[in-house]
Amino acid sequence: MQALLEYAIVGGVLYGIFFGLVAVGLNLIFGVMRIINLAHGEFVILGGFGAYWLSTSLGLNPLWGLPLAALGAVVIGFPLYYAVVPGLQRSRDPEMLSFILFFGLAQIIDAIISLGFGPDQRSLPDEALGGGTISVLGQAFPDSWWVAAGVAILAIMGLWLYLTRTRLGFATRAIMANRDEAFATGIAVDRVSAIAFVIGLALAGAAGVFVPYLQGSVAPGIGNNLTTTSFAILIIGSLGNPVGTLFGGLVFGVGSMLMQTFYASWSDLVPYVLLVVIVLLRPQGLFGKAVRNA
Amino acid sequence: MSSEPILALTNVAKSFGGFQVLTDVNFELKPGEILGLVGPNGSGKTSVINLISGVHQPEAGTIRFDGAEIQRLTPHARVKLGINRSFQVPKCFISMSVRENIEVAAHFSGHDADIPAILEDIGLSGMEAAPAASLTANQQKMLDLGRALATGPKLLLVDEIGAGLNPAELTGIADLLKRIAARGISMIVVEHLMEFLNKLTSRVIVLSAGKIIFEGSLGDASHDPEVVTAFFGGAA
Amino acid sequence: MRETWFKRARAGVITAAVLALVFGFAPTLYNNSSLLFMMMTYIVLAQGLNLLYGFTGYLPFGYVGFFGTGAYATALLVMKLHLPIALAIAAGPVASMVVAVVLGPLLRLSGAYFSIANLAASQILFIVIGNPNMQDITGGPYGVKIDQVYNPTASYAAMVMLVVGVTLIATFFRRSRFGQGLKAMADDPVSAEMSAIPVVRMRLLAWLTSAAVAGLAGALYAWNLSVFYPDAVFTLEISVFAIVFALFGGVGTVLGPIIGAGLLYALYNAIGISEPQYFQLIYGVLIVGLVMFLPEGILSLLTRRGINVF
Repeated sequence: MQALLEYAIVGGVLYGIFFGLVAVGLNLIFGVMRIINLAHGEFVILGGFGAYWLSTSLGLNPLWGLPLAALGAVVIGFPLYYAVVPGLQRSRDPEMLSFILFFGLAQIIDAIISLGFGPDQRSLPDEALGGGTISVLGQAFPDSWWVAAGVAILAIMGLWLYLTRTRLGFATRAIMANRDEAFATGIAVDRVSAIAFVIGLALAGAAGVFVPYLQGSVAPGIGNNLTTTSFAILIIGSLGNPVGTLFGGLVFGVGSMLMQTFYASWSDLVPYVLLVVIVLLRPQGLFGKAVRNA
Repeated sequence: MSSEPILALTNVAKSFGGFQVLTDVNFELKPGEILGLVGPNGSGKTSVINLISGVHQPEAGTIRFDGAEIQRLTPHARVKLGINRSFQVPKCFISMSVRENIEVAAHFSGHDADIPAILEDIGLSGMEAAPAASLTANQQKMLDLGRALATGPKLLLVDEIGAGLNPAELTGIADLLKRIAARGISMIVVEHLMEFLNKLTSRVIVLSAGKIIFEGSLGDASHDPEVVTAFFGGAA
Repeated sequence: MRETWFKRARAGVITAAVLALVFGFAPTLYNNSSLLFMMMTYIVLAQGLNLLYGFTGYLPFGYVGFFGTGAYATALLVMKLHLPIALAIAAGPVASMVVAVVLGPLLRLSGAYFSIANLAASQILFIVIGNPNMQDITGGPYGVKIDQVYNPTASYAAMVMLVVGVTLIATFFRRSRFGQGLKAMADDPVSAEMSAIPVVRMRLLAWLTSAAVAGLAGALYAWNLSVFYPDAVFTLEISVFAIVFALFGGVGTVLGPIIGAGLLYALYNAIGISEPQYFQLIYGVLIVGLVMFLPEGILSLLTRRGINVF
């Protein structure tokens, strides 16, 4: 019993740190653009398939998927941002229309992955990320889990430093606080937002590299689950704060692992129940704009 | 003693996220009276309007309208009792025509409104079919007022309607508000522009940092040391 | 008074009558009646979703949850309590309205928060009903079977009636004072309250109506299919189709969802479902294109030319 509990908690912490990385890109994009990127999960999967492709076709270490994710985010992110976002911000109902548009984009990415790689689940060899295990409290977890958690912490800290220590980061936070005022103070809102969008996509793709390890495999069609999970995590944490997202990831990770250990068949419910409960209990406390005035 | 107050606020308090917006607000309004509500930015004027109209609810205190406590009622219930307001930033139904904007308010309030007369009052006669979205900012303000009038209010709360108007327009709107008051509608007018307020009423309440610091005539207010400090003295 | 009401409802009555004739006689000309049944189901779902999204601005991404709830309520009442089919079908919308009441607090959320929370709620229903631990109660992942009441003709006729019914409800939303109030709320809820519109109550009413429509559609779908797995009535694809069909035609109108569902569902079958990825790609592109170039749907091509669309 105690061993199981320790297993669930150690595993949950690793899993949760990793999910902090999965969600942090969504948080950044949502904070800056007030748009829920419903294709977020698909960008994560894209990262996973990128790593899979590097590993199987080119024989490279899947970790090369990290720079590939960054490159992919730049190549896809900038044109995508300028093609759709400024127009959406001017539209009749930016919030809903962008929600729907990104949903359509998710379908396109999903279909393209299915057409390119087939609908099957793909996994990656453990050896690529070490192949051994590391134990804490007598609980052994594969090296890949520790690598994923390490990369996640580095990436989240990096984002935190970017937001708090650089000029662009300050501008990004100003836009998060108030887009209109940021415009008025002469911040190049579109350029700063586009950069944040690209960073958000890169982080999603980077997280995707580890999905085959942490989730066992990567397949088209799991994007929707990843998006909702990420949204739950970013709500548990706080908007615009990457460290808060890490905390949200831990809550989800430990909760999820406890469920998987003790009530395995109900563990799928965790992200959805967390989302509904948190949104209903604390809609205003964590982000003021969630509730209508009447 | 001549008549019961139509509106009475007793010890009303409101805070947002730990920030005390209003403290211990007490005042009364007699039927047909126009009361000016002044104070520096952030002093809580609009909050008073929001509490009376039900957009927000007070944490403490009572609000009595026509003798009955209303502080727990929904805004639409208060509208039906005869309270309405205009908004500092007009909030028209932009997908509808001018006429529909007024019709919908008349219909749901159950008030048999004279729509052509209201359109005449707010200077939008002949523009019934125009989409509300096509109106200028000032016309939208007028339409917002028209929406309020269509529900047949006994008490009208007017929130900074004069902002951004030129002197001629100000005179016009002051005349309109006087005409409305002459029909027996009580009014609370939140306003920055003292000259404008002076045309309407002599009785004002001055709010500062969520408290009433002066109640009396507009003329006396300008000589009251506390009022002068609130407006010009800053933190001193 | 009666005459003006009739004048307002006339377009809706004509539309409903045309639909009844088309779907009433179509099986005699075209023998794939299960395709026709599905087309009607999607017309109903697109219209039911339109009642909420088109008139209040709340997009229920988990709309399929009501559909699945209705289907399961009907199937389980027949299986477990041996209720007569008519009664079991009536329970479908009741069950989905109960779910809608439970989820009512979601309406306090705005825009995308509502949509994503509603999506999560529909997933919860799916996971719970399809859970292996629930096998004794819901059949779990093994689904349900009510072939003892299987009646394709009667269930088809009932779906035609539902198409007519939902068209008339949409007409009411479009042409009545109630609908005008909803439109006002969607424009500005605070101003709507100050126009004496009971915003919370009316929004809940639209939500319940929309849920009941999906629940009844699910009930009839269960009757028509008579054997199904949880996936068949809870797959997110059903929500997605309803959203895309409604958007394609144009939300906030009566004709939009009908035209959108009719055209796109026919297209869907013409392309064929043997390669679902191609269809997914096409409707993904369609969604993006619609939002960017035609956010009010194809009927807005007429509206832009000054033609008033019903």
